[in-house]
Amino acid sequence: MSFIELKSVVKRYGKHTVLQDVDLEVEKGEIIAIIGRSGSGKSTLLRCINGLEPVQGGEVWVDGVAVHDPSADLRELRARVGIVFQSFNLFPHLTVERNITLGPMIVKGMTADKAATLAREVLKKVGLEEKIKAYADELSGGQQQRVAIARSLAMSPSIMLFDEITSALDPELVGEVLLVLEAMARDGMTMLLVTHEMNFARRVANRVVFMNQGKVWEQGPAKDFFASPKTDELRSFLSSVLH
Amino acid sequence: MIRELAFQDVLYLVLAMRWTIVLTLLALSGGGVIGLLIAACGASRHVALRTFARAYVGTVQGIPLLAWLFIFYFGLSIVGYNLPPWIAATIGFSIYAGAFLGEIWRGALISIPKTQWEAALAIGLTYIEQLRYVIIPQAIRVAIPPTVGFMVQLIKNTSLAAVIGFVELTREGQLTTAATFQPFAVYLIVAALYFSLCYPLTRYSRALERKRRVVH
Repeated sequence: MSFIELKSVVKRYGKHTVLQDVDLEVEKGEIIAIIGRSGSGKSTLLRCINGLEPVQGGEVWVDGVAVHDPSADLRELRARVGIVFQSFNLFPHLTVERNITLGPMIVKGMTADKAATLAREVLKKVGLEEKIKAYADELSGGQQQRVAIARSLAMSPSIMLFDEITSALDPELVGEVLLVLEAMARDGMTMLLVTHEMNFARRVANRVVFMNQGKVWEQGPAKDFFASPKTDELRSFLSSVLH
Repeated sequence: MIRELAFQDVLYLVLAMRWTIVLTLLALSGGGVIGLLIAACGASRHVALRTFARAYVGTVQGIPLLAWLFIFYFGLSIVGYNLPPWIAATIGFSIYAGAFLGEIWRGALISIPKTQWEAALAIGLTYIEQLRYVIIPQAIRVAIPPTVGFMVQLIKNTSLAAVIGFVELTREGQLTTAATFQPFAVYLIVAALYFSLCYPLTRYSRALERKRRVVH
Protein backbone atom coordinates (compact mmCIF):
# COMPACT_ATOMS: atom_id res chain seq x y z
CA MET A 1 0.00 0.00 0.00
CA SER A 2 1.19 3.51 -0.80
CA PHE A 3 2.07 6.05 1.86
CA ILE A 4 -1.12 7.98 1.09
CA GLU A 5 -3.93 6.25 -0.75
CA LEU A 6 -7.31 7.67 -1.71
CA LYS A 7 -9.80 5.21 -3.19
CA SER A 8 -13.02 6.47 -4.84
CA VAL A 9 -13.31 9.29 -2.33
CA VAL A 10 -16.65 11.13 -2.36
CA LYS A 11 -17.17 14.39 -0.49
CA ARG A 12 -20.50 16.22 -0.43
CA TYR A 13 -21.75 19.36 1.22
CA GLY A 14 -25.46 18.69 1.37
CA LYS A 15 -26.46 17.97 -2.21
CA HIS A 16 -23.38 19.55 -3.69
CA THR A 17 -20.72 17.02 -4.62
CA VAL A 18 -17.21 18.44 -4.22
CA LEU A 19 -15.18 15.29 -4.76
CA GLN A 20 -16.39 12.59 -7.09
CA ASP A 21 -14.61 9.21 -6.94
CA VAL A 22 -11.14 10.59 -6.41
CA ASP A 23 -8.27 8.14 -6.58
CA LEU A 24 -4.76 9.21 -5.69
CA GLU A 25 -1.63 7.47 -4.51
CA VAL A 26 1.38 9.20 -3.06
CA GLU A 27 4.67 7.57 -2.18
CA LYS A 28 6.94 8.60 0.67
CA GLY A 29 9.14 11.56 -0.27
CA GLU A 30 7.00 12.56 -3.24
CA ILE A 31 6.18 16.20 -3.87
CA ILE A 32 2.78 16.62 -5.47
CA ALA A 33 1.46 19.89 -6.82
CA ILE A 34 -2.33 20.06 -7.11
CA ILE A 35 -3.64 22.61 -9.57
CA GLY A 36 -7.04 23.50 -10.95
CA ARG A 37 -9.69 26.19 -11.06
CA SER A 38 -11.22 27.47 -7.87
CA GLY A 39 -14.08 25.21 -6.83
CA SER A 40 -12.50 22.17 -8.45
CA GLY A 41 -12.07 20.46 -5.07
CA LYS A 42 -8.30 20.92 -4.59
CA SER A 43 -8.44 22.28 -1.06
CA THR A 44 -11.16 19.84 -0.03
CA LEU A 45 -8.96 16.99 -1.22
CA LEU A 46 -6.12 18.15 1.05
CA ARG A 47 -8.44 18.59 4.00
CA CYS A 48 -9.76 15.06 3.63
CA ILE A 49 -6.24 13.70 3.99
CA ASN A 50 -5.84 14.83 7.62
CA GLY A 51 -9.51 14.35 8.46
CA LEU A 52 -10.45 18.04 8.72
CA GLU A 53 -13.29 17.09 6.37
CA PRO A 54 -15.05 13.77 6.85
CA VAL A 55 -15.69 11.91 3.59
CA GLN A 56 -19.04 10.48 2.52
CA GLY A 57 -17.66 7.60 0.52
CA GLY A 58 -14.48 5.75 -0.40
CA GLU A 59 -11.33 5.24 1.64
CA VAL A 60 -8.53 7.51 2.76
CA TRP A 61 -5.42 5.73 3.99
CA VAL A 62 -2.55 7.76 5.40
CA ASP A 63 0.54 5.95 6.65
CA GLY A 64 -1.57 2.92 7.59
CA VAL A 65 -4.35 4.93 9.31
CA ALA A 66 -7.90 4.59 7.95
CA VAL A 67 -8.85 8.29 8.03
CA HIS A 68 -12.33 7.59 6.60
CA ASP A 69 -13.14 5.41 9.61
CA PRO A 70 -15.05 7.51 12.17
CA SER A 71 -13.27 5.68 14.99
CA ALA A 72 -9.80 6.54 13.65
CA ASP A 73 -7.41 8.24 16.08
CA LEU A 74 -7.21 11.54 14.22
CA ARG A 75 -5.39 13.30 17.07
CA GLU A 76 -2.44 11.00 16.63
CA LEU A 77 -2.68 11.28 12.85
CA ARG A 78 -2.74 15.08 12.88
CA ALA A 79 0.52 15.09 14.79
CA ARG A 80 2.05 13.30 11.80
CA VAL A 81 0.30 15.23 9.02
CA GLY A 82 1.00 18.95 9.15
CA ILE A 83 -1.18 21.45 7.32
CA VAL A 84 -0.50 25.09 6.49
CA PHE A 85 -3.37 27.34 5.49
CA GLN A 86 -3.76 30.21 3.05
CA SER A 87 -4.56 32.68 5.85
CA PHE A 88 -1.68 31.55 8.16
CA ASN A 89 -4.03 31.15 11.16
CA LEU A 90 -1.40 31.87 13.78
CA PHE A 91 -2.80 32.23 17.29
CA PRO A 92 -2.74 36.04 17.68
CA HIS A 93 -2.79 36.05 21.48
CA LEU A 94 0.36 33.95 21.78
CA THR A 95 4.00 34.68 20.98
CA VAL A 96 5.66 32.96 18.06
CA GLU A 97 7.35 30.67 20.55
CA ARG A 98 4.09 29.66 22.24
CA ASN A 99 2.40 29.18 18.87
CA ILE A 100 5.07 26.61 18.12
CA THR A 101 5.39 24.93 21.53
CA LEU A 102 1.64 24.56 22.17
CA GLY A 103 1.22 21.42 20.05
CA PRO A 104 4.35 19.56 21.19
CA MET A 105 3.66 20.34 24.87
CA ILE A 106 -0.04 19.52 24.94
CA VAL A 107 -0.36 16.79 22.35
CA LYS A 108 3.00 15.12 22.87
CA GLY A 109 3.59 16.03 26.52
CA MET A 110 6.98 17.59 25.80
CA THR A 111 8.62 19.58 28.64
CA ALA A 112 8.76 23.37 28.34
CA ASP A 113 12.56 23.35 28.05
CA LYS A 114 12.63 20.78 25.28
CA ALA A 115 9.80 22.52 23.44
CA ALA A 116 11.64 25.86 23.63
CA THR A 117 14.75 24.29 22.11
CA LEU A 118 12.59 22.74 19.42
CA ALA A 119 10.95 26.11 18.71
CA ARG A 120 14.36 27.69 18.09
CA GLU A 121 15.30 24.76 15.87
CA VAL A 122 12.26 24.98 13.61
CA LEU A 123 12.40 28.77 13.50
CA LYS A 124 15.97 28.47 12.30
CA LYS A 125 14.73 26.30 9.44
CA VAL A 126 12.40 29.07 8.30
CA GLY A 127 14.98 31.78 9.04
CA LEU A 128 13.08 33.58 11.79
CA GLU A 129 14.93 32.81 15.03
CA GLU A 130 15.01 36.48 15.96
CA LYS A 131 11.21 36.67 15.97
CA ILE A 132 10.72 34.07 18.69
CA LYS A 133 9.20 36.57 21.15
CA ALA A 134 7.13 38.45 18.58
CA TYR A 135 3.35 38.35 18.13
CA ALA A 136 1.70 37.63 14.78
CA ASP A 137 0.58 41.22 14.28
CA GLU A 138 4.22 42.33 14.45
CA LEU A 139 5.18 40.14 11.48
CA SER A 140 4.74 40.55 7.74
CA GLY A 141 2.50 38.09 5.89
CA GLY A 142 5.48 36.16 4.59
CA GLN A 143 6.94 35.93 8.08
CA GLN A 144 3.62 34.79 9.54
CA GLN A 145 3.38 32.08 6.95
CA ARG A 146 6.93 30.93 7.72
CA VAL A 147 6.04 30.77 11.42
CA ALA A 148 2.95 28.73 10.51
CA ILE A 149 5.21 26.32 8.64
CA ALA A 150 7.53 26.16 11.65
CA ARG A 151 4.54 25.46 13.89
CA SER A 152 3.66 22.46 11.74
CA LEU A 153 7.27 21.27 11.57
CA ALA A 154 7.48 21.27 15.36
CA MET A 155 5.15 18.28 15.41
CA SER A 156 7.76 16.41 13.30
CA PRO A 157 5.23 15.45 10.64
CA SER A 158 6.00 12.86 8.00
CA ILE A 159 3.61 14.56 5.56
CA MET A 160 3.03 18.26 4.97
CA LEU A 161 -0.08 19.67 3.30
CA PHE A 162 0.01 23.22 1.94
CA ASP A 163 -3.28 24.87 1.04
CA GLU A 164 -2.56 27.78 -1.32
CA ILE A 165 -0.11 29.13 1.19
CA THR A 166 1.18 31.96 -0.98
CA SER A 167 -2.18 33.14 -2.33
CA ALA A 168 -2.78 35.69 0.43
CA LEU A 169 0.73 37.15 0.21
CA ASP A 170 1.90 40.28 -1.51
CA PRO A 171 3.92 39.25 -4.58
CA GLU A 172 7.24 40.37 -3.12
CA LEU A 173 6.73 38.08 -0.10
CA VAL A 174 5.99 34.89 -2.04
CA GLY A 175 9.66 34.12 -2.72
CA GLU A 176 10.72 33.79 0.91
CA VAL A 177 7.96 31.23 1.57
CA LEU A 178 8.76 29.20 -1.54
CA LEU A 179 12.42 29.09 -0.50
CA VAL A 180 11.37 27.42 2.75
CA LEU A 181 9.31 24.88 0.80
CA GLU A 182 12.24 24.10 -1.47
CA ALA A 183 14.47 23.47 1.53
CA MET A 184 11.88 21.08 2.95
CA ALA A 185 11.65 19.32 -0.40
CA ARG A 186 15.42 18.82 -0.37
CA ASP A 187 15.12 17.30 3.11
CA GLY A 188 12.89 14.59 1.66
CA MET A 189 9.57 15.65 3.20
CA THR A 190 6.45 14.17 1.60
CA MET A 191 4.51 17.21 0.43
CA LEU A 192 1.17 17.94 -1.20
CA LEU A 193 0.69 21.51 -2.31
CA VAL A 194 -2.40 23.14 -3.68
CA THR A 195 -0.87 26.03 -5.57
CA HIS A 196 -1.28 28.68 -8.20
CA GLU A 197 2.49 29.05 -8.58
CA MET A 198 2.92 27.13 -11.82
CA ASN A 199 6.62 27.85 -12.15
CA PHE A 200 7.21 26.61 -8.65
CA ALA A 201 5.14 23.47 -9.34
CA ARG A 202 7.17 22.80 -12.47
CA ARG A 203 10.48 23.29 -10.71
CA VAL A 204 9.92 21.54 -7.39
CA ALA A 205 7.11 18.99 -7.77
CA ASN A 206 7.71 15.40 -8.88
CA ARG A 207 4.16 15.07 -10.04
CA VAL A 208 1.39 17.47 -10.91
CA VAL A 209 -2.28 16.64 -10.39
CA PHE A 210 -4.93 18.62 -12.26
CA MET A 211 -8.32 18.67 -10.56
CA ASN A 212 -11.46 19.47 -12.53
CA GLN A 213 -15.12 19.11 -11.52
CA GLY A 214 -14.23 17.27 -8.33
CA LYS A 215 -12.13 14.66 -10.12
CA VAL A 216 -8.47 13.99 -10.70
CA TRP A 217 -8.68 14.94 -14.37
CA GLU A 218 -5.11 14.42 -15.40
CA GLN A 219 -1.80 13.82 -13.68
CA GLY A 220 1.77 13.27 -14.66
CA PRO A 221 5.45 14.01 -14.05
CA ALA A 222 6.04 17.73 -13.72
CA LYS A 223 8.37 18.03 -16.68
CA ASP A 224 5.97 16.73 -19.37
CA PHE A 225 2.83 17.94 -17.71
CA PHE A 226 2.94 21.58 -18.70
CA ALA A 227 4.52 20.94 -22.09
CA SER A 228 2.07 18.34 -23.36
CA PRO A 229 -1.35 18.40 -21.71
CA LYS A 230 -3.53 15.48 -22.81
CA THR A 231 -6.99 16.87 -22.15
CA ASP A 232 -8.68 19.98 -23.49
CA GLU A 233 -9.64 21.02 -19.98
CA LEU A 234 -6.02 21.10 -18.83
CA ARG A 235 -4.93 22.86 -22.00
CA SER A 236 -7.52 25.56 -21.52
CA PHE A 237 -6.69 25.88 -17.80
CA LEU A 238 -2.99 26.21 -18.51
CA SER A 239 -3.54 28.78 -21.22
CA SER A 240 -5.61 30.84 -18.79
CA VAL A 241 -2.95 30.83 -16.07
CA LEU A 242 0.26 30.85 -18.10
CA HIS A 243 0.90 33.84 -20.25
CA MET B 1 -38.20 68.07 61.63
CA ILE B 2 -36.10 69.70 58.94
CA ARG B 3 -32.42 70.20 59.60
CA GLU B 4 -29.41 71.61 57.73
CA LEU B 5 -27.44 69.50 55.27
CA ALA B 6 -24.33 68.72 57.30
CA PHE B 7 -20.98 67.12 56.66
CA GLN B 8 -22.36 64.09 58.44
CA ASP B 9 -25.01 63.66 55.71
CA VAL B 10 -22.35 63.68 53.03
CA LEU B 11 -20.50 61.04 54.98
CA TYR B 12 -23.63 58.89 55.14
CA LEU B 13 -24.05 59.20 51.40
CA VAL B 14 -20.46 58.11 50.84
CA LEU B 15 -21.02 55.17 53.17
CA ALA B 16 -24.24 54.23 51.37
CA MET B 17 -22.20 54.00 48.19
CA ARG B 18 -20.67 50.80 49.52
CA TRP B 19 -24.08 49.10 49.29
CA THR B 20 -24.28 50.19 45.67
CA ILE B 21 -20.91 48.54 45.18
CA VAL B 22 -21.90 45.41 47.10
CA LEU B 23 -25.10 45.01 45.10
CA THR B 24 -23.17 45.49 41.86
CA LEU B 25 -20.68 42.80 42.88
CA LEU B 26 -23.44 40.40 43.95
CA ALA B 27 -25.24 40.96 40.65
CA LEU B 28 -21.98 40.43 38.76
CA SER B 29 -21.32 37.14 40.55
CA GLY B 30 -24.83 35.79 40.10
CA GLY B 31 -25.11 37.23 36.61
CA GLY B 32 -21.65 35.93 35.78
CA VAL B 33 -22.64 32.35 36.56
CA ILE B 34 -25.91 32.66 34.61
CA GLY B 35 -24.08 34.50 31.80
CA LEU B 36 -21.48 31.75 31.42
CA LEU B 37 -24.23 29.18 31.16
CA ILE B 38 -26.18 31.25 28.65
CA ALA B 39 -23.07 31.98 26.58
CA ALA B 40 -22.11 28.30 26.51
CA CYS B 41 -25.65 27.32 25.45
CA GLY B 42 -25.88 30.16 22.92
CA ALA B 43 -22.62 29.21 21.21
CA SER B 44 -23.35 25.49 21.35
CA ARG B 45 -23.84 23.29 18.33
CA HIS B 46 -27.09 21.91 19.74
CA VAL B 47 -30.21 23.65 18.54
CA ALA B 48 -32.14 22.99 21.77
CA LEU B 49 -29.47 24.70 23.88
CA ARG B 50 -29.27 27.66 21.52
CA THR B 51 -33.06 28.01 21.60
CA PHE B 52 -33.03 27.94 25.40
CA ALA B 53 -30.37 30.68 25.50
CA ARG B 54 -32.28 32.83 23.02
CA ALA B 55 -35.53 32.39 24.95
CA TYR B 56 -33.88 33.36 28.24
CA VAL B 57 -32.21 36.45 26.79
CA GLY B 58 -35.37 37.47 24.93
CA THR B 59 -37.56 37.11 28.00
CA VAL B 60 -35.26 38.95 30.38
CA GLN B 61 -34.45 41.77 27.98
CA GLY B 62 -38.10 42.16 27.07
CA ILE B 63 -39.17 42.90 30.64
CA PRO B 64 -38.08 46.04 32.51
CA LEU B 65 -35.59 45.52 35.31
CA LEU B 66 -37.95 47.32 37.64
CA ALA B 67 -40.62 44.71 36.92
CA TRP B 68 -38.21 41.93 37.84
CA LEU B 69 -37.50 43.63 41.14
CA PHE B 70 -41.23 43.98 41.87
CA ILE B 71 -41.82 40.33 40.99
CA PHE B 72 -39.22 39.11 43.46
CA TYR B 73 -40.01 41.59 46.21
CA PHE B 74 -43.76 42.26 46.14
CA GLY B 75 -44.83 39.34 43.94
CA LEU B 76 -43.24 36.60 46.01
CA SER B 77 -44.45 38.11 49.26
CA ILE B 78 -48.05 37.69 48.08
CA VAL B 79 -47.52 33.96 47.60
CA GLY B 80 -45.92 33.74 51.01
CA TYR B 81 -42.20 34.22 50.44
CA ASN B 82 -41.03 37.37 52.16
CA LEU B 83 -37.63 38.06 50.75
CA PRO B 84 -35.54 40.77 52.37
CA PRO B 85 -34.87 43.61 49.89
CA TRP B 86 -31.21 42.75 49.39
CA ILE B 87 -31.99 39.16 48.42
CA ALA B 88 -34.81 40.19 46.09
CA ALA B 89 -32.48 42.77 44.54
CA THR B 90 -29.64 40.27 44.17
CA ILE B 91 -31.90 37.76 42.42
CA GLY B 92 -33.48 40.38 40.16
CA PHE B 93 -30.17 41.94 39.18
CA SER B 94 -28.51 38.55 38.65
CA ILE B 95 -31.23 37.48 36.23
CA TYR B 96 -30.92 40.78 34.43
CA ALA B 97 -27.10 40.78 34.33
CA GLY B 98 -27.06 37.11 33.27
CA ALA B 99 -28.95 37.90 30.08
CA PHE B 100 -26.71 40.80 29.09
CA LEU B 101 -23.43 39.14 30.07
CA GLY B 102 -24.56 35.95 28.32
CA GLU B 103 -25.14 37.86 25.11
CA ILE B 104 -21.82 39.73 25.37
CA TRP B 105 -19.87 36.54 26.02
CA ARG B 106 -21.69 34.51 23.39
CA GLY B 107 -20.82 37.22 20.89
CA ALA B 108 -17.19 37.09 21.99
CA LEU B 109 -17.06 33.31 21.59
CA ILE B 110 -18.54 33.26 18.13
CA SER B 111 -16.43 36.22 17.02
CA ILE B 112 -13.35 34.00 17.04
CA PRO B 113 -12.96 32.85 13.44
CA LYS B 114 -13.53 29.19 12.52
CA THR B 115 -9.99 29.15 11.17
CA GLN B 116 -8.66 29.46 14.73
CA TRP B 117 -10.57 26.33 15.77
CA GLU B 118 -9.27 24.63 12.68
CA ALA B 119 -5.64 25.60 13.23
CA ALA B 120 -5.88 24.26 16.78
CA LEU B 121 -7.54 21.08 15.55
CA ALA B 122 -4.85 20.67 12.90
CA ILE B 123 -2.05 20.48 15.49
CA GLY B 124 -4.02 17.77 17.27
CA LEU B 125 -5.77 19.61 20.11
CA THR B 126 -9.02 18.13 21.42
CA TYR B 127 -12.24 20.19 21.56
CA ILE B 128 -11.68 21.14 25.20
CA GLU B 129 -8.02 22.00 24.54
CA GLN B 130 -9.02 24.15 21.57
CA LEU B 131 -11.38 26.08 23.83
CA ARG B 132 -8.95 26.36 26.69
CA TYR B 133 -5.75 27.36 24.89
CA VAL B 134 -6.96 29.07 21.74
CA ILE B 135 -10.59 30.19 21.78
CA ILE B 136 -11.37 31.32 25.34
CA PRO B 137 -8.18 33.38 25.83
CA GLN B 138 -9.02 35.31 22.67
CA ALA B 139 -12.72 35.56 23.52
CA ILE B 140 -11.87 37.05 26.92
CA ARG B 141 -9.88 39.80 25.25
CA VAL B 142 -12.86 40.56 23.03
CA ALA B 143 -15.30 40.42 25.94
CA ILE B 144 -13.54 42.56 28.55
CA PRO B 145 -14.29 46.03 27.15
CA PRO B 146 -18.06 45.44 26.70
CA THR B 147 -18.20 43.63 30.05
CA VAL B 148 -16.69 46.61 31.81
CA GLY B 149 -19.06 48.81 29.86
CA PHE B 150 -21.98 46.74 31.12
CA MET B 151 -20.68 47.09 34.70
CA VAL B 152 -21.11 50.84 34.34
CA GLN B 153 -24.75 50.29 33.34
CA LEU B 154 -25.19 47.92 36.24
CA ILE B 155 -23.83 50.37 38.81
CA LYS B 156 -26.26 53.01 37.64
CA ASN B 157 -29.17 50.57 37.47
CA THR B 158 -28.67 49.43 41.06
CA SER B 159 -30.35 52.73 41.93
CA LEU B 160 -33.62 50.99 41.00
CA ALA B 161 -33.23 48.84 44.11
CA ALA B 162 -34.16 51.96 46.06
CA VAL B 163 -37.82 51.40 45.16
CA ILE B 164 -37.94 48.11 47.03
CA GLY B 165 -36.33 49.71 50.05
CA PHE B 166 -32.76 48.58 49.61
CA VAL B 167 -30.70 51.38 51.12
CA GLU B 168 -28.01 52.10 48.63
CA LEU B 169 -26.79 55.44 47.34
CA THR B 170 -30.03 56.63 45.73
CA ARG B 171 -32.22 55.50 48.64
CA GLU B 172 -29.86 57.22 51.09
CA GLY B 173 -30.21 60.33 48.92
CA GLN B 174 -34.01 60.13 49.25
CA LEU B 175 -33.76 59.74 53.00
CA THR B 176 -31.34 62.66 53.31
CA THR B 177 -33.59 64.81 51.15
CA ALA B 178 -36.56 63.98 53.35
CA ALA B 179 -34.64 65.10 56.41
CA THR B 180 -32.99 68.24 55.03
CA PHE B 181 -35.32 69.22 52.20
CA GLN B 182 -32.40 70.15 49.98
CA PRO B 183 -32.94 67.87 46.99
CA PHE B 184 -30.75 69.87 44.61
CA ALA B 185 -27.65 69.71 46.79
CA VAL B 186 -28.25 66.14 47.87
CA TYR B 187 -28.84 64.71 44.41
CA LEU B 188 -25.87 66.62 43.03
CA ILE B 189 -23.75 64.83 45.58
CA VAL B 190 -25.41 61.51 44.70
CA ALA B 191 -24.74 62.16 41.02
CA ALA B 192 -21.12 63.04 41.71
CA LEU B 193 -20.66 59.83 43.67
CA TYR B 194 -22.10 57.69 40.86
CA PHE B 195 -19.85 59.54 38.44
CA SER B 196 -16.80 58.84 40.59
CA LEU B 197 -17.58 55.11 40.33
CA CYS B 198 -18.49 54.97 36.67
CA TYR B 199 -16.11 57.34 34.96
CA PRO B 200 -12.88 55.50 35.84
CA LEU B 201 -14.46 52.26 34.59
CA THR B 202 -15.44 53.90 31.32
CA ARG B 203 -11.90 55.16 30.87
CA TYR B 204 -10.52 51.72 31.72
CA SER B 205 -12.84 50.09 29.19
CA ARG B 206 -11.64 52.47 26.47
CA ALA B 207 -8.02 51.75 27.32
CA LEU B 208 -8.63 48.01 27.10
CA GLU B 209 -10.34 48.43 23.77
CA ARG B 210 -7.17 49.94 22.36
CA LYS B 211 -4.72 47.22 23.32
CA ARG B 212 -6.27 43.87 22.58
CA ARG B 213 -4.48 41.35 20.47
CA VAL B 214 -6.94 39.36 18.38
CA VAL B 215 -7.54 38.33 14.80
CA HIS B 216 -8.53 41.38 12.78
